[in-house]
Amino acid sequence: MESASPFASGPPRQRPSMVPNPTGVVQTPLVGRSMAPSSSVPLTSPFGSALPGFSRPAATPFASRPPPPGAIPQGPIAGNGPRIPGFTAPRTLPPPSVQPAPPSAASSSIRQPTPYASATQDSGLQSYPGSPPSGASVATLPMPFVGPPASQQFGRPPTSQPLFSGPPRSQPPFAGAQYLQRPMAGSTNSQLPLAGLPTSQSPFLGPPTSQPPFTGPPTSQPPRPNTPQPPFAGLPTAQQFGGPSTQTLTGPPISQFVGPPTSQPYAGRSSSPSQMATPSSQPFSMPPTVGTSFGSPVWPSQPGQMVPSLPGNVQAPPRMFGMPPGMPGQPIPPVLPAMGHSALAGPQVSTQSKIDPNQIPRPLPNSSITIFETRQGNQANVPPSATSIFVVKDNGNCSPRLMRCTLNQIPCTGDLLSTSSMPFALMVQPLALPHPSDDPIPVVDFGESGPVRCSRCKSYINAFMRFIDHGRTFVCNLCGFTNETPRDYLCNLGPDGRRRDADERLELCKGTVEFVATREYMVRDPMPAVFFFLIDVSLNAIQTGATAAACSAISQSLADLPDGPRTMVGIATFDCSIHFYNLRRASQQPLMLIVPDIHDVYTPLHTDVVVPLTECRQSVEQLLESIPSLFENNKVSDSAFGAAIKAGFLALKPTGGKLLVFQSVLPSVGIGSLSSREAEGRTNVSAGDKEAHKLLQPADKTLKTMAIEFAEYQVCVDIFITAQTFVDIASISVVPGTTGGQVYYYYPFSALSDPGKLYNDLRWNLSRPQGFEAVMRVRCSQGLQVQEYAGSFCKRIPTDIDLPAIDCEKTIMVTFKHDDKFQENSECAFQCALLYTTVYGERRIRVINLSLPCTSMLTNLFRTADLDTQFACILKQAASSIPMNSLSQVREQITNLCINILHAYRKFCATVSSSGQLILPEALKLLPLYTLALVKSIGLRNDGRFDDRSYWASHVMSLSISLAVPLVYPRMISIHDLTAKENDGSLSSSNIPLSSEHINDDGIYLLENGEDCLIYVGNMVNPDTLQKLFGVTSVDGLPTQLVLQQFDNDFSEKLSVVMNEIRQQRCSYLRLRLCKKGDPSGMHFMSYMVEDKTAGGLSYVEFLVHVHRQIQTKMA
Amino acid sequence: MAEELAGTGAAASDPDGPDGVRMTWNNWPRTKVEASKCIVPVAASISPIRPSPTLLVLPYHPLRCKPPCFAVLNPFAVVDFAAKIWICPLCFTRNHFPPHYAGISENNMPGELYPQCTTVEYAPPPLDHLSSPPPPPPVFLFVIDTCIIEEELVFLKSAMRRAIGLLPDNALVGLLTFGRMVQLYELGFTEVSKIYVFKGTKEIPKEQILDQLGLSTTNVRHGAVIGAPGYPKSPQSNGFHPSGSVNRFLLPAADCEYALNTLLDEMQTDQWPVEAGSRSLRCTGVALSVAAGLLGACMPGTGARIIALVGGPCTQGPGMIVSKDLSDPVRCHKDLDKDAAPHFHKAVKFYDNLAKQLVNQGHVLDLFASALDQVGVAEMKVAVERTGGLVVLAESFGHSVFKDSFKQIFEDGEQSLGLSFNGTLEINCSKDIKIQGIIGSCTSLEKKGALCADTVVGQGNTTSWKMCGLDRSTCLTVFFDISTTERSNQSGIPNPQLYIQFLTNYQGPEGQMRLRVTTVTRKWADSSNTEELVQGFDQETAAVVLARFTSLKMEMEEGFDATRWLDRSLIRLCSRFGDYRKEDPASFTLNPNFSILPQFMFNLRRSQFVQVFNNSPDETAYFRMMLNRESITNSVVMIQPSLLLYSFNSPPVPALLDVASISADRILLLDAYFSVVIFHGMTIAQWRNMGYQNQPEHQAFAELLQAPQHDAQTIIRERFPVPRLVVCDQHGSQARFLLAKLNPSATYNSSHEVAVGSDIIFTDDVSLQIFCEHLQRLVVQS
Repeated sequence: MESASPFASGPPRQRPSMVPNPTGVVQTPLVGRSMAPSSSVPLTSPFGSALPGFSRPAATPFASRPPPPGAIPQGPIAGNGPRIPGFTAPRTLPPPSVQPAPPSAASSSIRQPTPYASATQDSGLQSYPGSPPSGASVATLPMPFVGPPASQQFGRPPTSQPLFSGPPRSQPPFAGAQYLQRPMAGSTNSQLPLAGLPTSQSPFLGPPTSQPPFTGPPTSQPPRPNTPQPPFAGLPTAQQFGGPSTQTLTGPPISQFVGPPTSQPYAGRSSSPSQMATPSSQPFSMPPTVGTSFGSPVWPSQPGQMVPSLPGNVQAPPRMFGMPPGMPGQPIPPVLPAMGHSALAGPQVSTQSKIDPNQIPRPLPNSSITIFETRQGNQANVPPSATSIFVVKDNGNCSPRLMRCTLNQIPCTGDLLSTSSMPFALMVQPLALPHPSDDPIPVVDFGESGPVRCSRCKSYINAFMRFIDHGRTFVCNLCGFTNETPRDYLCNLGPDGRRRDADERLELCKGTVEFVATREYMVRDPMPAVFFFLIDVSLNAIQTGATAAACSAISQSLADLPDGPRTMVGIATFDCSIHFYNLRRASQQPLMLIVPDIHDVYTPLHTDVVVPLTECRQSVEQLLESIPSLFENNKVSDSAFGAAIKAGFLALKPTGGKLLVFQSVLPSVGIGSLSSREAEGRTNVSAGDKEAHKLLQPADKTLKTMAIEFAEYQVCVDIFITAQTFVDIASISVVPGTTGGQVYYYYPFSALSDPGKLYNDLRWNLSRPQGFEAVMRVRCSQGLQVQEYAGSFCKRIPTDIDLPAIDCEKTIMVTFKHDDKFQENSECAFQCALLYTTVYGERRIRVINLSLPCTSMLTNLFRTADLDTQFACILKQAASSIPMNSLSQVREQITNLCINILHAYRKFCATVSSSGQLILPEALKLLPLYTLALVKSIGLRNDGRFDDRSYWASHVMSLSISLAVPLVYPRMISIHDLTAKENDGSLSSSNIPLSSEHINDDGIYLLENGEDCLIYVGNMVNPDTLQKLFGVTSVDGLPTQLVLQQFDNDFSEKLSVVMNEIRQQRCSYLRLRLCKKGDPSGMHFMSYMVEDKTAGGLSYVEFLVHVHRQIQTKMA
Repeated sequence: MAEELAGTGAAASDPDGPDGVRMTWNNWPRTKVEASKCIVPVAASISPIRPSPTLLVLPYHPLRCKPPCFAVLNPFAVVDFAAKIWICPLCFTRNHFPPHYAGISENNMPGELYPQCTTVEYAPPPLDHLSSPPPPPPVFLFVIDTCIIEEELVFLKSAMRRAIGLLPDNALVGLLTFGRMVQLYELGFTEVSKIYVFKGTKEIPKEQILDQLGLSTTNVRHGAVIGAPGYPKSPQSNGFHPSGSVNRFLLPAADCEYALNTLLDEMQTDQWPVEAGSRSLRCTGVALSVAAGLLGACMPGTGARIIALVGGPCTQGPGMIVSKDLSDPVRCHKDLDKDAAPHFHKAVKFYDNLAKQLVNQGHVLDLFASALDQVGVAEMKVAVERTGGLVVLAESFGHSVFKDSFKQIFEDGEQSLGLSFNGTLEINCSKDIKIQGIIGSCTSLEKKGALCADTVVGQGNTTSWKMCGLDRSTCLTVFFDISTTERSNQSGIPNPQLYIQFLTNYQGPEGQMRLRVTTVTRKWADSSNTEELVQGFDQETAAVVLARFTSLKMEMEEGFDATRWLDRSLIRLCSRFGDYRKEDPASFTLNPNFSILPQFMFNLRRSQFVQVFNNSPDETAYFRMMLNRESITNSVVMIQPSLLLYSFNSPPVPALLDVASISADRILLLDAYFSVVIFHGMTIAQWRNMGYQNQPEHQAFAELLQAPQHDAQTIIRERFPVPRLVVCDQHGSQARFLLAKLNPSATYNSSHEVAVGSDIIFTDDVSLQIFCEHLQRLVVQS
């Protein structure tokens, strides 16, 4: 099949994960090309190469599939980009919906994997473990899978798992286990109805329990083909996969495209295949397989919806493709050729000048759990997708959660890198939440002498330091210097050349360790955990309820502050002056100390402004309770924000700590006051567009200067903006951005629906794993040098970054450049050292090591490229450049980067001569989609508010990889059919592509990007459904400000389950907005449909054509 | 000679007379030249609102002369009852009586024309009872230093509690504390204790303070805060307080007594850490400017006092007198002389501006300094003196000098100081008389007129002065100049009398407005006749005026040698008015009217006013302020203390201020104004120590011991500030308080003849005898 299909490339990749996803499938086809190159690699099929498991199967991608069951997880890892090992979900779709689709699909010229397709739905289903398919009924399906693999453990817990449930909420984020649970959940309980739920169920936690077969097996298999055995193989379950795989081949593509895709990746495919059938594209098949692998697949639920949609979609696509025609005009020639080639979607276009929208690559949700061993056979494994669920076994390289690279093989030369056009950066999330089953990070205490370090470059001892000369000396893996081994650290070497104690000494066998810091690493005693709350009590804040919400949130969050006598808190309020409170007083009344001078602020007291929580909790609570009433008649509308944070800083100056600011209006007086420049910008239209980006730059340097001083004294500022109007986030965000804090934005603040999120955000902020007074440095092997750090921090010297606070969500991007060459078979090492103080006052050095092989082959670079990381990198670079350049320039840069990368691949790695095809490297097949989504994202859209854009930019700068993708390409699921979906697997894992074709008037959809959650209600929704979900009987009766209540019915409960699952996964409570068709809110919702053609942007298909043309032009 | 001089200071019962006016020369030299030959300046010491049992209060408006004179009708006016015309004695203008004086006749004269009523007070009823507001209540804004040790704070709090209890219910009270920062308490906010905190290092302009407190009228910033809970909303409409919300900070005593007491209970010493080797940071200057700023929101005309309780030097911000570094000592006189006090001039300038602000607002600064070290009275002097504030310098807030003085401010009745506000003094005088200026607690209003002299002494260049605060003992010294031109002298009517009228407008303790008019007349001395001059000489007044004048010169003139100047003046005076034969010292005699003056001069030369180096600049400033504001009688005591002698066989008698007065079996009572010393002779002390006074048979001894105590208490009770009482024994260390004041007629040099029980003084100072000998010799030389 592979060969045959125009998509040719298709066959290669086996990315399990990808396949499953509807979208993914499509992509695979494109990927096709990559296969060829990869072929050079041991594995014939590109995918194979990528996917360890698959490689073996080399011959038939599908064949390989079998393993998936177990392997699955790995599959994804393999680098196919698609995230997902786990998406069992996909399957679900296929069944019902698919079918309808097929027809249409078929019609569409696209050749696809029909084969399977035909088989598809039915076969597909059956093919799987059988049970699932048949199980058309959602519920049933899951079961079957479960059975097979031990994997269940990981299984996505979603529905069931009691195991997890309990713990999550309660436990503090820190608890290792919870990684998933966000405090939010817990918190939620208290306040929000939903919240409650989550706790109980936290699906994630549950993982173990979960059924997904994959997990079990997978662990073993590393991505690489090299890896000895496909993990999957091991599992009997394989069959399941096998089944799917087959289908996948054929079907996958199709199905995917089908509108419904979201949910049913697999199913879809199967079906799709039928439609697409033609597309010999085995490539697809591959992907499908993957999907299959996940097994769990069958989720009927969606189908229902899907089905209908599918047909429509299918057809639609063609039309949309109108493009093609256009294409023909010029590009036609190329296009055609492309067609000729095996190229998948893109290419296809050429044939008929049409691209089957259902076949183009889309991310496949994957909810299964894989086990990822960071190294195997002394080789680094390619990590699974950042958005997938995996468990890490630390074998010498760090967990990819903590640090991962855009490239999993390091180019030997800078030229090679620049040829590839790919970004080269590390994403470091040093305190990232582990999966509860991850290996814990060991704490190593070297006693008074402190950790052993290279005496030249000062890097810390790690598993890659090579001991020689009977252990008397060791060679630094970073700088190559030969050090003497300290006497008390001596140990003989074994026959294998390793120290005999290497396995006992965790620093010599683990990729990540924490050293206990000695005096040498402290300039003072480790600071206590100090939290200072600054609350806006100006007219606006009082009247909108923001003050009350803040006080209530703080009061409730006190319980989540770290215990112990060292935890201190302080409170101040401000309007046009600053009010401190003496919290330690003999009398019951609080004492308010007003600092009226907002041009030259100071703290009014030396002591008692910040007090130990344990001693003064009662007075703090009492104060918080009385603040709203104290100021209830406040008529001051001005806000001295700058002065207030300065004052808060002064209170924290002796110790350092966190300053949490609740701000509601534009800072209008005092230090760092700002003007309403947005309005000014609007009136001054002439300057308008050209200068627009200047409004995204800070108004002046005042706040920046202050922020640097804050950072120097270890004060971190987080700002919760509960605004109704412009507040100039561009200027304000500089403070958190420089001090390791972050901005929370509630616009427009609603006293009805936002307090819940405010509380949960605050609670998570306070209780998540975090550290204080941190300094971080990344070291790398000779040959590279750090070019730049990006994120929320303060940089005073070139080599280190200062982080007054660092938490589990903050991610720092580190870019590198070559200053020398690497040898082909050498390894390039990276070491991130984070010196920080825990909330309990322990000083620690977390050392994170990553050692990656070097390559001089471009194909290897592409094969091991890490799409998620690269995209996160591109996203951050885009965010940092929007204040400097006009939007159109930024969009063009991004698009060009995408084109250049694909061009490089096309030019150097795709062997096929068909110049007319659009060929995508398997690992990066989603790059065009993400690029398109990025171009249309809030930050880069022309029509956004400046504050939204600034907030977006500041949010992105420290965003983790796993949240970067959804932010730009949100997840959409249908809700109206929730009950039909059954309890299988993750309810939220069946995604719908972000295209309006998939939105039906009788449907209710939930779209979330990790930040906001939009619930879209069509105008023909079944009143019964409305009644059950929202307690109203008509669309008109829906409130504009939504507080999701849980009603006593299955439907509502399910929605709660879904919401909580998402919340846990995103570590965010999500800001809920209700969008109604025909309403501005509906338009807002539609603006997230990034695959649509919009006034300002191309549709996905058009974009692919555009990219293809550009590449062709370059080729010519 | 000394014998007969003793005790004269305390003699007369009311030397000031009903007018409270004493002059150096009661017969005035006719010309400028003659005046300059008189050596002692022509000056009058006036007590503008001195209470008098005979004072006539007239319930109507005064009758005034035509402009520009404006003199008020007085007993010296020539009245033509038939024509209903009166002739102003000062300017000789003829004025018609207005219609309501129609009934005037020789037998029916208005009170102001009674000859004995040279001083009357007008208390006219308000024009319209209904429209005019009741008199504004007095305002007391307490400014409390918290940079003091716990023990001192306890004393301070108890003094405050007592004061709060004594305040009239309607008095508005505010509270401000300071240390490193300034805390202003918003007493009107009931939900929580609300405090505005100001940084101590920065001078804040008044407008900014008002703005920051939300009191500024123009300002929108806080303006709306008025509506906040806890603020009475009505006040701003009543017209006293244009920006109404000042009541947030100033509440009627009756309403905030509880709140104040609670705040006092919780008041802590300043909690900012003090580094080793440093003084605590104290921002007295900012605190006072914030207080002044706050009162600025009160309507001018409201009688308001800032009562500052200061426990140490200002070490930061404006008004700083010394750095926080302990190795840097507080300035002393030597530093001031050498201009080596780096903060002095800046601080004085700051307080000078503060004084201007307060005077503009009509508000008073009272200073209660209680510390062992200096607190900066020297710098603050200008602000206190210009506003007519009170000043008390004590060692501790627990010391009776502070405690009892502080209490006196708030007391009613006999003990009352009669604190009055918003006084203005105008002086009118016969032509040929010019006013050089005033030394004392007042500020020139710069209202120039024909009566202003070219040379200025003290607050001059005006005929009108502001006294923001004044009380029953307030005393001012007016310096006159004679400007008789030849022409006027010839052509002028040979009127032998000159007239001076003092008009004092003030707001009494109860808030009522009064105008006191004092008209005095004196005689022009015949130019050729020194005898007339001699007869009119008042040596006590002269001594005090010289002391005040010298003090002023010492402050104002760089390198002024006071001793020398006084000596030369005395010599010249004696050579002009003494009787002697040239070159024959023995022939020298002085008219009794001059006879004590040399002794006064001798003691003045040795006093704290001239010999400043024995004291800190703070003390000197304090002494001088008291010298300037006290009556002549009291001031004389400051210059030359009085000494009473108690012994078994006689009633208490005045004794010579001489070491010879010491005797083992006597008790001495020294009143040096600032201190009262009871000195037991050695024998007396021994007896007392043996407890004879407790034995019934030694009743007399007990009474002897008791008598000086009793007299001392009498002195103390009547004096503000309360003097320090020192009880000591001969040869005890505290005896220095007595010995320092005594004429060293017996020193270690001359002591071979010392009688048993007498004493000697270890000094090289000359004794009065030697001083007089030298004087005689020098006088007769020239």
